[in-house]
Amino acid sequence: MAQKQQQQRRPDPRGKKCPFCTKASTRYLDYKDYPTLKPYTDYFGNIRARYYTGVCLKHQKMLRGAIEKARFMAMLAYRK
Amino acid sequence: MSPSLVASSEDTRIYEFAIMYPADLLQKQEAEFIKEVEGYFSEAGAMQIAKDAWGRRGLAYPVKGHMEANFVIYYYELDPSKVKEIEQNLRISRNVLRHLVVKPPKNYQILKYSDVYADWQKNHESVDEVRTREKEEKVKEQVAKKAKRQVEKAASERTKETKEDKGVVVEAQLSRKLEELISDDSLDI
Repeated sequence: MAQKQQQQRRPDPRGKKCPFCTKASTRYLDYKDYPTLKPYTDYFGNIRARYYTGVCLKHQKMLRGAIEKARFMAMLAYRK
Repeated sequence: MSPSLVASSEDTRIYEFAIMYPADLLQKQEAEFIKEVEGYFSEAGAMQIAKDAWGRRGLAYPVKGHMEANFVIYYYELDPSKVKEIEQNLRISRNVLRHLVVKPPKNYQILKYSDVYADWQKNHESVDEVRTREKEEKVKEQVAKKAKRQVEKAASERTKETKEDKGVVVEAQLSRKLEELISDDSLDI
């Protein structure tokens, strides 16, 4: 019974590691780099919350800046 | 294709200028426009480090009625006080839809957009590929789990059997010994 309960429980979204910290600690996120920015926006063009993506605060701030620049240059949508 | 991004003198910095202009310009107009923009930089005494023309590109939302636009990225080394002037000129220029000035960090690598795109196309996985890979991994995991479970089951059964066998053997030995003891005539009970 105990095992069954464990299987039914959803994985904890807080258990994720920051993907930018793991690969050689990103110092700068480029607004021109569409493929890395795209997964951090949802279908409607909003920036995904840190809680779900596991990005650390430092990189989330960089990410936000990069996404906002990309939006200004019409590479990403503001609102879909 | 990666010139150093360290400014050559104390008074200058390196800036990245991204300029978006309409895609439906005639070739002659486009050449004129590029000349005009580069004129602003040379006027300010800027030194070009790299130029990357992205070409025609779709936009995420319409800008002044355009759904497609051309992009050019320039890397210039210039006096920080001149940036304002250049931005002013770009703002006034009729054909500039959007422009963005960024100061790239020290260790920034200038990569050509076309190269990056080709690399991405070669290495990235499409959504379908990711889905099939995940499915295969799941199936593999399940198979591995099943095999493990079966092995464990077989092992536990074997140990049970051996235990039972041992028990029988021990009993037989005991009874034989008892009989020997009982049948021993030298014993006087």
